[in-house]
Amino acid sequence: MNAIIALSALAILTMFFGVIQKKSVLLPLILSGLIIVFFLNVIEWGTFKHYYNEMFIADNFNIAFTAALILTTFLVFIFSALYYRTVKRPLEDIYALMLFSLIGGITMASFGNITMLFIGIETLSISFYILAGSKKFDVASNEAALKYFLTGTFATGFLLFGMALIYGVSGSFNLQAINSYIIANKESIPTLFYAGMILVFVGMAFKIAAVPFHFWAPDVYTGSPTLITAFMSTIGKVASIAAFYRLISITFLNVHDFSVDILMLFAIATIIVGNLSAMTQDNMKRMLAYSGISNSGYLLFAIIAMGPKSAGTLLYFSISYAIATITAFAVIMLVREERGTFSLQDYKGLAKQNPVEAFAMAVAMMSLAGIPPLAGFMAKYNIFSVAMNGGYVWLVIVGVIGSMISVFYYFKPIIYMYFHRADAHKKIETTKAYKIHILLVSILLIILGFLPGLVIGLL
Amino acid sequence: MPDAVQNLQMIPLNDYIFFCSALFAIGIIGVLIKRNALVIFMSVELMLNSANLLLAAFSAYRNDPAGQIFVFFIMVVAAAEVAIGLALLVMIYRSTHSIDINALNKLKW
Amino acid sequence: MIEYIWLVPLLPLIGFLLIAFNFKRFQGSVSGIIASSAIFVSFIISLIVFIEIYSSKQTATVQLFHWIKFNKIDISFSFLIDQLSTLMLMIITGVGFLIHVYSIGYMKGDSGFNRFFSYMNLFVFFMLLLVLGSNYLIMFIGWEGVGLCSYLLIGFWFKKHENNNAAKKAFIMNRIGDLGFLLGIFMLYYYFGTLNFNGIFFQAHMFTIGNPTITIITLLLFVGAIGKSAQIPLFTWLPDAMAGPTPVSALIHAATMVTAGIYMIARSNVLFVLSPITLLIIAIVGITTALLAGGIAIFQTDIKKVLAYSTVSQLGFMFLALGVGAFTGAMFHLTTHAFFKALLFLAAGSVIHALNGEQDIRKMGGLKNKIPITFFTFLIGTIAISGIPPFSGFFSKDMILIGAFEANSIFWIIAVIVSLMTTFYMFRLLYIVFWKRSNKEDLHAHESPKNMTIPLMILAVLSVLAGAFGIPLVFGGNDIIGNFLSPIFTESTNIIKINAHEISHNTELLLMFIPVIFVFVVVYLAYYVYVKQKKLPEADNQKRPFFSNIFFKKLYFDEIYNALFVKPALWLSDFLHNIIELKVIDRMVNQAGNLVVWTGKTIRYIQTGNVGFYLFAMVISIILILIFKLFI
Repeated sequence: MNAIIALSALAILTMFFGVIQKKSVLLPLILSGLIIVFFLNVIEWGTFKHYYNEMFIADNFNIAFTAALILTTFLVFIFSALYYRTVKRPLEDIYALMLFSLIGGITMASFGNITMLFIGIETLSISFYILAGSKKFDVASNEAALKYFLTGTFATGFLLFGMALIYGVSGSFNLQAINSYIIANKESIPTLFYAGMILVFVGMAFKIAAVPFHFWAPDVYTGSPTLITAFMSTIGKVASIAAFYRLISITFLNVHDFSVDILMLFAIATIIVGNLSAMTQDNMKRMLAYSGISNSGYLLFAIIAMGPKSAGTLLYFSISYAIATITAFAVIMLVREERGTFSLQDYKGLAKQNPVEAFAMAVAMMSLAGIPPLAGFMAKYNIFSVAMNGGYVWLVIVGVIGSMISVFYYFKPIIYMYFHRADAHKKIETTKAYKIHILLVSILLIILGFLPGLVIGLL
Repeated sequence: MPDAVQNLQMIPLNDYIFFCSALFAIGIIGVLIKRNALVIFMSVELMLNSANLLLAAFSAYRNDPAGQIFVFFIMVVAAAEVAIGLALLVMIYRSTHSIDINALNKLKW
Repeated sequence: MIEYIWLVPLLPLIGFLLIAFNFKRFQGSVSGIIASSAIFVSFIISLIVFIEIYSSKQTATVQLFHWIKFNKIDISFSFLIDQLSTLMLMIITGVGFLIHVYSIGYMKGDSGFNRFFSYMNLFVFFMLLLVLGSNYLIMFIGWEGVGLCSYLLIGFWFKKHENNNAAKKAFIMNRIGDLGFLLGIFMLYYYFGTLNFNGIFFQAHMFTIGNPTITIITLLLFVGAIGKSAQIPLFTWLPDAMAGPTPVSALIHAATMVTAGIYMIARSNVLFVLSPITLLIIAIVGITTALLAGGIAIFQTDIKKVLAYSTVSQLGFMFLALGVGAFTGAMFHLTTHAFFKALLFLAAGSVIHALNGEQDIRKMGGLKNKIPITFFTFLIGTIAISGIPPFSGFFSKDMILIGAFEANSIFWIIAVIVSLMTTFYMFRLLYIVFWKRSNKEDLHAHESPKNMTIPLMILAVLSVLAGAFGIPLVFGGNDIIGNFLSPIFTESTNIIKINAHEISHNTELLLMFIPVIFVFVVVYLAYYVYVKQKKLPEADNQKRPFFSNIFFKKLYFDEIYNALFVKPALWLSDFLHNIIELKVIDRMVNQAGNLVVWTGKTIRYIQTGNVGFYLFAMVISIILILIFKLFI
């Protein structure tokens, strides 16, 4: 709770700093603010408080995911210096919106009441709509924003209708109360309730970009400014999956038999469509968008299996996915700025000219592909073992096949960077700070691969 | 004199559900068949309002204010969404001189 | 000092790493000196440990770390220090050190000088691991490691194609044996639940003699020994292995690695005595190998090949000893053989060195006076291997002969014949190489440098004196080696001795006496044929008598294997490659890949870019889910 209050204060402060036009102060302020918020969040570890009639529950799950979200945002802000280095104005609006969407994300990881879930989702989404269109004079950005907005509000409609139905049958928005209702009337739950559940699931599936509700994701991720894409595809996904897990683990666990089919359908379709579509992409940003979709499929494994290690594995997978994605996007931003496109061709011979950046990209790609000993491998391994322990053998088989396909496209940039000769491209000049940051992030990815037990054991 | 809640309860709950579902379906159909982004917004609003009505009806039948409070939240959020949606539309119109959603097909495959 | 035993294998490993990572940097003899000093320090530590074990008669297990801990499996990385392993330590580090020093001279100027010493040190490391391991798994690591080093060193001069072929042959044949060994280890684990020597041998008492399980396990282990120690039917790699540098032949293919099979069986003696059938098979395989290899050796014309077949023959002798239960005899002969065969190989290397790489004995002769040190040391080696008292070979062979006689007099007779054959081919070699023949012009030869001759002299002294450790009781000796090794073998020997008949001292003396007389007769026979008559082996293409031709052609083993195994295997792999792999599997795999890529290309187009379609697809999906979940 303290974290949300502090973050709100930080976001409002950020907006005020825009008034005095101090660009140089803004980013350090936000970064140090995020660090403070991170500690404010972490010190509540193990206290299990709840606020406002259980609207907001601060348990370990919430704190862990909040920490992950703040960490991710922190990384995005670090690389924002590079992305916006040519922009003169202070960008307080974009930064503030990013912080607001972080607040939405945190709310999604800590709600105790469906009302809060809705508010969290909308805070996150509305900020995202604006952020997606923040490159005002870029047609792609405009298109992305409008597409996101149209599909997003449409999905919100279904989510709301589902919530209304659930409320109508169970008589409460409180997660525990709904759970008690399910336990009490296990045999006589009306169809209306199940219809409501399906609609809520659809809304959540839309947010995590699960097939067949993923259509917005590739276009929006491709069209949005790259930094925002990095932000949306990590924060949005992590927060939504946390919310989905929370919703099912607290409320719908006793009707899990009913939801499992739908979730399995989502997971399998997501992995197949996501990976297959990514295969022949030439646009790196779009490829990563599809990679994000396929990763939602793996994340759903933990929710389907609902084993004792599900939450921890979800956390570990989310963190490793987020860090790898941000690393990749940080390199993509750089290459795009210097060479003009997102095409794979621009990565030819990058390893010779910019070894540090190429190394970071390679680490990120290999982590996403699940090559040991990187974090991505341990994440996939653990999530598969969670599914395996739950008895979902077929799911794991699909997951492994999807992983195999994914190696094909994740290795393409590596091949271009390391085994192709550069044609006519010059070395990309970068600042030392950027080099250090990107190296640190990729090393973090390697280190993380050696301590999966530590992270998974948290929850 | 019966108060508002009692008036609401005079109509059977199923009627509300059917009515709201119909309203919701009209909204969906509107979204699907219209190509003008502004009309699509309106249809989405209709969907949200059908949910609002449903919540209000349930709230009245249960004598539980939570549903109505939720409606307020939805209204606030919907207002915000409309504000942003209209702003986006203006932006789109500036760059493409059209608010036909089929004009938005630069990003595909 | 025992707790520092890990230093013994570690030092050669460090030496290996040091040389391997400074491949290009080390000039001159630097790498040779590093390698030799690593082995020397190991030798000193081994010596101290040996003395400690000798005086205290204690054994110890030094645990380094838990290696594999999984479920009930708990395999630790630990060393077993007892009489048997310390004896092997002394041979490996001692002989190994001398051969390293010798190699500095022998390999001088070779372009692969650094590579050679890195391999040699790696070999010593693995060999030490093999003998020190306290369980079968560690032993197996060493076992495979020495096989690898053997492969690398046989093919050391890899520019010549036949060397590579010899290396591959050695590796593949060893692999067949290794498979047996591995299966044996699996079965041991299955039946005993542990791989520790102590654990297994302790539990072995629960099995009765002749238990079929034990018989199968021991036979599988013996298959491993056959491969590594070059016995029939897997012996043909060892003569080919002479393609490697001569010090390699001395260290790996005479003194240490090829005796690993003997060591393994001696180590597992508790198991083997439980299976009389296996022991009988071992004895028969051993004596047959000894006989055939001895026969082949008589007709060879390459100095190293003669010694190689001699090694095979002597290994057969050791297996005979194991088979009849004379474990001490086997280990004793292993020790003395390590000395005199290393000596012979190094002396042969010195001859080859002196003649600038000539190996054909028909082109040698009259070297007696030109390279006197080499000649004398070679002579000592020859006498030692021939079993002429009081040189070491006499005592070790005698121990085996007595053991064979106690088991079965037929073994004894054949063993004596083998022993006489040994004498004959060794003296044949000696006379042809070193005695002058008038019809030949003088060869130009030079004596080897000091760092080569001094190891020769040390080994010569050892070859003479090593017998002192095994002077039998009849001669008033006290059988030092027998007493030393008794903690390991006593139990097993007792089981064997139940069936054997005790022989009296007079018989024993008689049994020693008869072969010695014959040995002298054979020495004279060789002298008569090769010095008096100046007979020379025929040229390769010349026609030979039927019998001699068969042995000259090595009993056609290679040809038979070629026809039976190599050709069908090649045909099969040809078939698998051209038909199955290229036509079936490749096509399937490629098609599967193409299918996936095609699907990917196609599925992309679902993403039409049209929002209306997206919304429509969402609604349809929702309706379908609702229908399927709620109404069906």
